[in-house]
Amino acid sequence: MISLSASNSQNSVHAKHGLAVSVQNVGLTYTTSIDKRPTLKARLKSLGRGKKHTRVVRALNEVNLDVHYGTVLGVIGSNGAGKSSLMRVISGIVPPSQGRIEVHGSVSTLLALGVGFNPSMTGRANVYLGGLAAGMSRAEIDAQFDAIADFSELGDAIDAPMRTYSSGMYARLAFSVAATVQPDILIVDEALSTGDAHFKEKSLNRIKELRTADRALILVSHAMATIEDVCNEVAWLHKGKLMARGNPAEVIQQYREFMQVGKSAAANEDV
Amino acid sequence: MSAPVSIYEPFRAGLPPLGSYLRSLWARRSFIAEFSRSELREQNYGSVFGQLWLVLNPLLLSGVYFLLIYIIGGHSDATRYGHLTASLFLFYLISNSLTGGVKSITAGQRLILNTAFPRVMLPISATVIALFKFAPTLLVFFVMRTALGLHYSWQMFWAIPVILIALLMGLGMAILISCINVYFRDIASLLPYMTRSLLYLSPILYHASDVSEKIKTLEVVNPLFYLLDAWSQVMVYAKAPDMYSLAHAFIWALSIFLIGAYFFLSRERDFAVRL
Repeated sequence: MISLSASNSQNSVHAKHGLAVSVQNVGLTYTTSIDKRPTLKARLKSLGRGKKHTRVVRALNEVNLDVHYGTVLGVIGSNGAGKSSLMRVISGIVPPSQGRIEVHGSVSTLLALGVGFNPSMTGRANVYLGGLAAGMSRAEIDAQFDAIADFSELGDAIDAPMRTYSSGMYARLAFSVAATVQPDILIVDEALSTGDAHFKEKSLNRIKELRTADRALILVSHAMATIEDVCNEVAWLHKGKLMARGNPAEVIQQYREFMQVGKSAAANEDV
Repeated sequence: MSAPVSIYEPFRAGLPPLGSYLRSLWARRSFIAEFSRSELREQNYGSVFGQLWLVLNPLLLSGVYFLLIYIIGGHSDATRYGHLTASLFLFYLISNSLTGGVKSITAGQRLILNTAFPRVMLPISATVIALFKFAPTLLVFFVMRTALGLHYSWQMFWAIPVILIALLMGLGMAILISCINVYFRDIASLLPYMTRSLLYLSPILYHASDVSEKIKTLEVVNPLFYLLDAWSQVMVYAKAPDMYSLAHAFIWALSIFLIGAYFFLSRERDFAVRL
């Protein structure tokens, strides 16, 4: 989704290596209801008995993580490891079940699930709505809109309803918004992997440009090559727990050994 | 100079700090305007008449119901038609904010899962959209009532408090129902029957004075009955509404709004997990 966050990012000055995000003992549990057989008969049987099939999912378990300004943190882990949940908790979208999170600065999130708010509205309307919802003013969006449209290379398509977009176009627009807004803290969740080779290259370069001492970047990706290339720290999550964090090459090596995936082409592929 | 610090802690059922909540809501007021405008544009996107539908819809609607009462009643006079149109238009202000509000949270899933903002913006937008749809109908009505030869008077300024009460009621209902829909999705399927019942239980196709005293007493539980009666008195007969009707409507509107707002604000941090 396209989302930009609280204004005044331009002016705030952060101490080099100052604390950007502090995740303290965070736990997150979801209760999901499961209808094993969602039929009318099963429904009628269970109706009124107050018995519901529920399962408690522990998405995050006592995670402690500090991210300092100047850091590019890569977050890796298998599917369902809690990477996206952690990003949501840091962005303040989902409240944690335990623990506490401190975020020092403005956050721009580019999370994997859902780009664009209402697919029947135009790309332009979605950019404005996403920005306004995140607390930017209309003037701030006006000032950045052309840069966003240019970067996305969508051309006239920016004024077409988003349901007519291809998945690559969605991703391009979303990336352009998040990367143009110049937030203090940028969170990118697996959004780099869509788009064609040309745009991948371009967005990777953009990420590299954004690596400055007064900014913190958090990238979630399955593409080990990119992580190793761009990040100066890596955190590895497994089943909601923080398994390791530190030097990219070392942590990726541990992860590979754990998952028993060799340095195959498939794991390196994609940006 | 230090950057803003946000702290996120476990969710507890209870109201958020209202001061900062309202401030962050006010800071995003342009979202509500922009959202309503885009939504209206999108609803008529690609149709021949485009935004003209905002005026065509109410005209066609009153035409259809006029046919109905003409056939059933076998007669029709100017005031009856005026009453029908005026009441129907105000009714649609409330029913549109209900139908727009019910799915506002569940349809805003993408935004909710990706951005932190006061969620109540979404049902508020639904009511603003209903208001945008209502405004042209008011214009249509004034043209119509002039053509019908109904007289005007200063008492018609009572329309302002009546509209404000209706807005408060629509807003409260939108907030309440959008929140209920997060936990109980069946409400969206039940809603058409609820609005339809409200339509027939309220003095729209008939006058409030047509119903028996016994039924009139029972109508105390219908939040719209006395509101629509007051509206008809003001708009069709150009009389001051009776104060009982106005008080009844206001108490209902305020109660629904307060209950809805409390329920919504105390649960909204939980929405992202429920979607």
